[in-house]
Amino acid sequence: MSDHDENHSHAGTYLAVFIALCVFTALSIIADLLEFSDKNVTRALVLAIASAKALCVMMFFMHLKFERAWKYLLLLPTGILACALPFALFPDVGAHYYTPDVPQVREYALQQAAAGSGEHGHDDGHAKPQPEHH
Amino acid sequence: MSHAPAAPALRMGIPIPNGKLGMWLFLGTEIMFFTAFIGTYIVMRMGSAGWPTDIHVTHINIWAGGINTFVLILSSYFVVVAHDAVLQRNPSKARLFMTASVVLGILFLGIKSFEYYGKIDYDILPGHIAESDRQSMEKLLKTVGNRLDGHLSAIAPKSTKREREDLLAELDTKITDLQAATGDKKTAAELQQAQAVKKFYNEYVNLRDHIRAEVSFAVPFAELDKLRTETDVSKIPTLALGPFPHEGEEYHPPTDTLLGHVKTAILDDKDLAPLMSGFKVERIRPILYGNLFASNYFLMTGFHAIHVIVGLILFVLAIRSPLSLDNAVFVENAGLYWHFVDLVWIFLFPLIYIV
Repeated sequence: MSDHDENHSHAGTYLAVFIALCVFTALSIIADLLEFSDKNVTRALVLAIASAKALCVMMFFMHLKFERAWKYLLLLPTGILACALPFALFPDVGAHYYTPDVPQVREYALQQAAAGSGEHGHDDGHAKPQPEHH
Repeated sequence: MSHAPAAPALRMGIPIPNGKLGMWLFLGTEIMFFTAFIGTYIVMRMGSAGWPTDIHVTHINIWAGGINTFVLILSSYFVVVAHDAVLQRNPSKARLFMTASVVLGILFLGIKSFEYYGKIDYDILPGHIAESDRQSMEKLLKTVGNRLDGHLSAIAPKSTKREREDLLAELDTKITDLQAATGDKKTAAELQQAQAVKKFYNEYVNLRDHIRAEVSFAVPFAELDKLRTETDVSKIPTLALGPFPHEGEEYHPPTDTLLGHVKTAILDDKDLAPLMSGFKVERIRPILYGNLFASNYFLMTGFHAIHVIVGLILFVLAIRSPLSLDNAVFVENAGLYWHFVDLVWIFLFPLIYIV
C-alpha cells in the first residue's frame, strides 16, 4: 500500500470485494448444478468466474490496483515463464498426433465399443456415466 | 564560499519496502511452481480420454470444496481488515481478525483432512487403483491374500511368511488336535479361530483359481480341473467382475460374477465376514486413469495444504508482534502470501471439483 493514503480506511471496498467473491463462488456452484448438455460450457463459465475472482483478489486484497508500474515488471515475465511448461507439454501429452499404446487407451476403446453395442462396459449399471469424448 | 544544499540521495530500485519486494519476488516463483502443477494437470486431462469425472467414483464432494472456498475467502477478507486495522493504529482489532483468520485456516485443513479420509477409505490413492476389470480381480486377490496372511500371523506370531505357509499345511492337524483337547474356553476360541482361517484359506484358493483361469463362479471349484481338458473354449463361461453397489440401493450382484461370489461367500458369511472387516468392494473398483487422477489431486491439494500451514505460522508470528505501525509491512507480507494461497484455491476449486 505504498502509493496511497495510509490513514484512509479501505474497509468498505474490502467488504464489497468479499461479497463479490462469495457471489462468484455461488455462481460457480450453480453453473455446476445446472448441468449444461455441453460440458465445455460449464468449463468455460467456471474458469471465467475463477479468473474474475482472481482479479478481484489481486487488485484489491493484494493492492495491485494501487501499486506503481513495478508490478508489471515483476509479474509479466513470471506469468509468461509460468506458461512455458504447459505449452511445452501440450503437443506431446495433451494433443498427441499418434495413438499411444497404453492399457488405458485400449480399455477406453473397449468401453466405448461396449457402450456402442448397448451393453455396459463394466456391467456397472446406471451410475457410471458415459466417459467423456475428447 | 557557500555550500549548495546537498541534493536528496537518489533512491535506487523499486519504491516499496525491501521486505515487500522480497515477498513479491517469492510469490513470482510460487506462481511458476503452481502453474506447473495446474498446467500439467490440464494438459494430462486433455490427453486422457475417459478421465474419471463421476463423483460416485472419485468421491469428490463439491460441497466440501465450496465450503472450503468460502472459508478461505472469508479468511482473506479478515486478513485485509486486520492489515487495515494495523494502519489505523488499532492493534486489538487487528489481533482479533488475525486470530479469526488462523481459526478459519485450521477449519480449512480440517475439511481437507475429512476429504482425504474419504479418499483413503475408498483407496483412491496413487498407485493403488485398478484401471481395468482384470486389475480389479488381481487387486481383490491380493487384498484377500494379505488378510489371510494377517490372520495366520495372529495364530503364529513372530513367524515368517514361509513358516506361515507351512502352518497352513498343518492347520488341519492343529484343528484335529484342538478338537481332541479337553474343551476349556481358551481351546474352544482357538479352535473356532483355526477353523475360520482354514475356511478363509479354502475360499482364497477358490477365488485364486477362478481368477487365474478366468472362469465364472457358475463352475464349481471341484470342476475347475475338468475344464483343463476342454478344447472348445466357447463352452467355458468367462469370469465377469460384476456390478458395484450404488448408494442407497440394495446390492445383489449375480452370484456367478466375482463381486457376487465375494458378497455371498465372504462378506455375508458369518464365519468369514469378521476376517474381512472394514473391507468395501468399492476399494477394488476399476477407474480408468484413476492413478493419474489421484496423483494430480494429492499433489495439487497437498502442496496447497502445506502453503496453508506456512501461512498459519506467519499469522501466529504476526499475532505475537505488537501489531503497531512498525509491523505493518510484516502483516502486509503475511497477507500477500495468504491471498496467494487463496488465489491458488480459487483455480483449484473449479478445476478439481467442477470441470
